Order: sequence, then structure tokens, then C-alpha cells
Amino acid sequence: MTMTLTINGKKRTLTIDPGEKLLDVLRREGYMGVKKGCGAGDCGACAVLFNGRAVNSCLVFAAKAEGAEILTIEGLATGEVLHPVQEAFLQEGAVQCGYCTPGMVMATIDLLSRNPDPSEPEIREALSGNLCRCTGYVKQVNAVQRAAEWMKGGETRG
Amino acid sequence: MSNIKTYQRPASLEDAWRLLSEEGKTAKLVGGAVDVGLFAPPEVATLIDLSHLLSTSVESRDGGGLVIGAGVTLTELLESPQAQAYGGGILVTMLRQVASPLLRNAATLGGALASTHPWSDVITLLLALDAQVRRYSGHPEEAALETLLESRGTMDRVIISEVSLPRLEERTYIDFEKFVRTGFDVGMLNCACRMSLSDDGCANVRVVLGGTPDIARRSPDVEAAIAGTSLTASDIEKAAAVASESIPARDDVRASGAYRRILAKAGVRRCLQRMAQKAGE
Ligand SMILES: Cc1cc2nc3c(=O)[nH]c(=O)nc-3n(C[C@H](O)[C@H](O)[C@H](O)COP(=O)(O)OP(=O)(O)OC[C@H]3O[C@@H](n4cnc5c(N)ncnc54)[C@H](O)[C@@H]3O)c2cc1C
Ligand code: FES
Ligand code: FES
Repeated sequence: MTMTLTINGKKRTLTIDPGEKLLDVLRREGYMGVKKGCGAGDCGACAVLFNGRAVNSCLVFAAKAEGAEILTIEGLATGEVLHPVQEAFLQEGAVQCGYCTPGMVMATIDLLSRNPDPSEPEIREALSGNLCRCTGYVKQVNAVQRAAEWMKGGETRG
Repeated sequence: MSNIKTYQRPASLEDAWRLLSEEGKTAKLVGGAVDVGLFAPPEVATLIDLSHLLSTSVESRDGGGLVIGAGVTLTELLESPQAQAYGGGILVTMLRQVASPLLRNAATLGGALASTHPWSDVITLLLALDAQVRRYSGHPEEAALETLLESRGTMDRVIISEVSLPRLEERTYIDFEKFVRTGFDVGMLNCACRMSLSDDGCANVRVVLGGTPDIARRSPDVEAAIAGTSLTASDIEKAAAVASESIPARDDVRASGAYRRILAKAGVRRCLQRMAQKAGE
């Protein structure tokens, strides 16, 4: 079947299998920043924004995204300039192997778009569906706090 | 490997129902797809997407009741001011304990009920609140969630379109407790209590225990132990002991039956203690 959706601001018409997951279609189309961890809704590595909300793309049927706006990690930077959330993750050392990072960043963008000044418990709740096997869930929280400060101040990057 | 051959977006509930009834067990309704995406049985060849057909509104009605479209996501419900105001915010207390925001952003209320997970937090609380469910099977029909759960295996064979929660009388108290191994896990046991408290004591008592590991059920023995009492510390201890003795606890991968009995006691005790405290304020 064919479907039309917008990925990172570009309208795309894709041929998909009716039972295919959004994760697999995105990766096939070259959006390799969308990671596959568990494939079962447990790890959050596959998170993308679906009409502005972070979801596990390993669970969503691609066909469900007909007409939807999808944002992946590849759609965040402007040229060489990283999004403040990406920059904050780098500066705070919140990235080790980096496998969980795209999902964490997308979950953070969803959070900050609705709550520009989250408390630490709110940050922890927002990231509770994103597992990281390398870090200790401290530097990511610091990174979200730093990104929130920059974004509140209207800065595009740190 | 999925055997799905077609993904349908019917134009109306009527068309969705026709497809479902014509295709039988080879067709499956899709809400947020959190479950269907993981657990669609191999015989399923047709997916019927309901997302554009179901209401996503949350409205206050009847001077304090709530009418919720079955297409609402758990996040939308959690963020709705009407849901936040209902029953002292009890829906929010429960929903924040369901999975993660990533899942709640996709999962719908209709799907949460129709998937009839034994450990469902949504079902436990909505059963305690005496939720009524509106469904479509060629014509609209309405029934209590409690009645529908009696034929649990068929909950996803009729389209759930709306859920309504009753207006809560003054001095009605509700509470919810969930026991998990980690914050993101499904529960080892959950519990919800609702009652009104007047000078004549507790009335309209509903106590529900879920994940025992069977699906949530009311507990008539605990309800009887509470009804008519003034919810003193000793009333609460007696009711908690009855919960422990009377639940159909068994072992499974999440917890042993013996541990579930301890949790049932603690869950009922905590809910009742908080309710007694609120009543005394
Ligand atoms: C990793 C994980 C963790 C979870 N943790 C929790 C938790 O802590 N607590 C909790 O309560 N739940 C939890 N859940 C369950 C989750 O809440 C439900 O799976 C979810 O709400 C299903 O909603 P959905 O819209 O995605 O349903 P779908 O996946 O779309 O459908 C689920 C079932 O319902 C049917 N269906 C869907 N919509 C309708 C409708 N309108 N009418 C009739 N039938 C319909 C489908 O055919 C299917 O059988 C968890 C699930 C996962 C995957
Ligand atoms: S790959 Fe999607 S949640 Fe793990
Ligand atoms: S940095 Fe390696 S999994 Fe998170």
C-alpha cells in the first residue's frame, strides 16, 4: 500500500506493507538515528515525535502515520547547528555509547514543548520510558535542565 | 512474522463494524496499537484503524460526571482539566502510574479497556468508579464495565466508543494503589476503593483488586467488612485482613500468591487510611 506523511518537514509518499512498523519504514528510508532496542515498547530507543508527541515507533503501525507529521533526530539540527537539547546532551556528557540518545532527546523535546520549566521529578517521569545501559540517569537530567534554561532564554544553542 | 494483508481506515463506525463482523477473527480493531502492534495473533490479516472515528473529547456532564471519547489517549486524558478535577484528581493519580509517557501518548482509553489485561490499572480504577461503556455493534448500546468484563474475551469484538463516569455525591472518597517492582513495570497487584461516608457510616462501597493475577474484580467480602462502619483504625485493619484472606491470589512470574496476599492487605489499608484522613479534614 502507499501512504503519504511528512517526515522532518518533507512530504513523502512511501510504499509500505500494511503490517509494517513505523520504526522499520523510517530506518529503511534512511532515518538511521531511529534506533531499535527491544522492539516491544520497553526501551524508548525508537522514540520519534508523532504529531508533536513522543511515541515508540516500534509499536506504531506505519500505516497509522498517514497524513501525520513525524519528527526524527535527523530533523532537529539546522545545518551544522545542533538543537539546544542535542547540544545540552553533549555538553553535559549525557552520551556514552549513544544508542539511547536519540530517543531521550525526542522525549525531552516533547516534554519541553509542553513544560518549559520542568522539575527534576517531572524530567524523570518524562524519561521513564527511555532506558540507558551506560549512564546513571543523572547527566541526562542535568542535560534536560540545561536545555530548558537555554530554551527559556531564547537561545538556539549553548 | 506478521500476516497482516490490509490496513483499513473505514469512513464510519458502521463501516468499521461491518468489516469486523464480516472478517471475524481475522480482523482486529486498532486504537493506539500499543498492544495490537505487539500481540496481534497470527490469524489476523486485517487491521481496522479507529483513530479518526472515535471521539477524543473529555466533557463534564450531569453536574459533575465525565464523558470520555474512547479515542482519547491516556496522555490527553491525564492532561484534560475535566479529568484532573474529577474525584479529587484520582484519574491523574492512576494514569501517571501507567507505563511511560511514550506509551501513554499512543494508548487509547478504548484500547486500555478492550485489551482486558489482568494487571490493567485503568480497568481497576474504572471498575471502582462504576464506569458505563457505550459501544457500537451496528447500533449503539450501553452497559456497565462490570457487566462487560464478565465476558472478557469478547471485549474487543464490539467497538467501544465512549466511557462515562458518574457524578460523585458529596463526601464520596476514592483511592488507588499500585505495587510495582520498578516504576515502569506492570503491577504485581493494584487496588481501588470508592465509598461515601456520612453519619450513618460508609455506604456505596466498591473495592476492586486487580492483577491477583486474575483480572480486576470487586471484592464483596471487603465491601461488606467496610459497609456501615465509620472507618476507624480497627475497621480498616479488619477490612485489610479480609482482603488478604479473600483474594483469589496465585503465583505468577511477577509475584507469589503469598506475597500478593500481603500486598492486598497493604493496598486496602493504605487506600482506606487515606480516605479516612480526607474524610476527617
Ligand atoms: C510496555 C507496556 C507497558 C504497559 N504498562 C501498563 C501499565 O503499567 N498499566 C496499565 O494499565 N497498562 C499498561 N500497558 C497496557 C496499555 O495501557 C494498553 O496496552 C493500552 O492502553 C492499549 O491501548 P491501545 O489504544 O494502544 O490499544 P490497541 O493496541 O490498539 O488495542 C488493544 C486491544 O483492544 C482492541 N481495541 C482497541 N480499541 C478498541 C475500541 N475502541 N473498541 C474495542 N476494541 C478496541 C484491539 O482490537 C486490541 O484487541 C502497558 C503496555 C505495554 C506495551
Ligand atoms: S525499540 Fe521501541 S521501545 Fe524499544
Ligand atoms: S549512552 Fe549507552 S545506552 Fe545510553
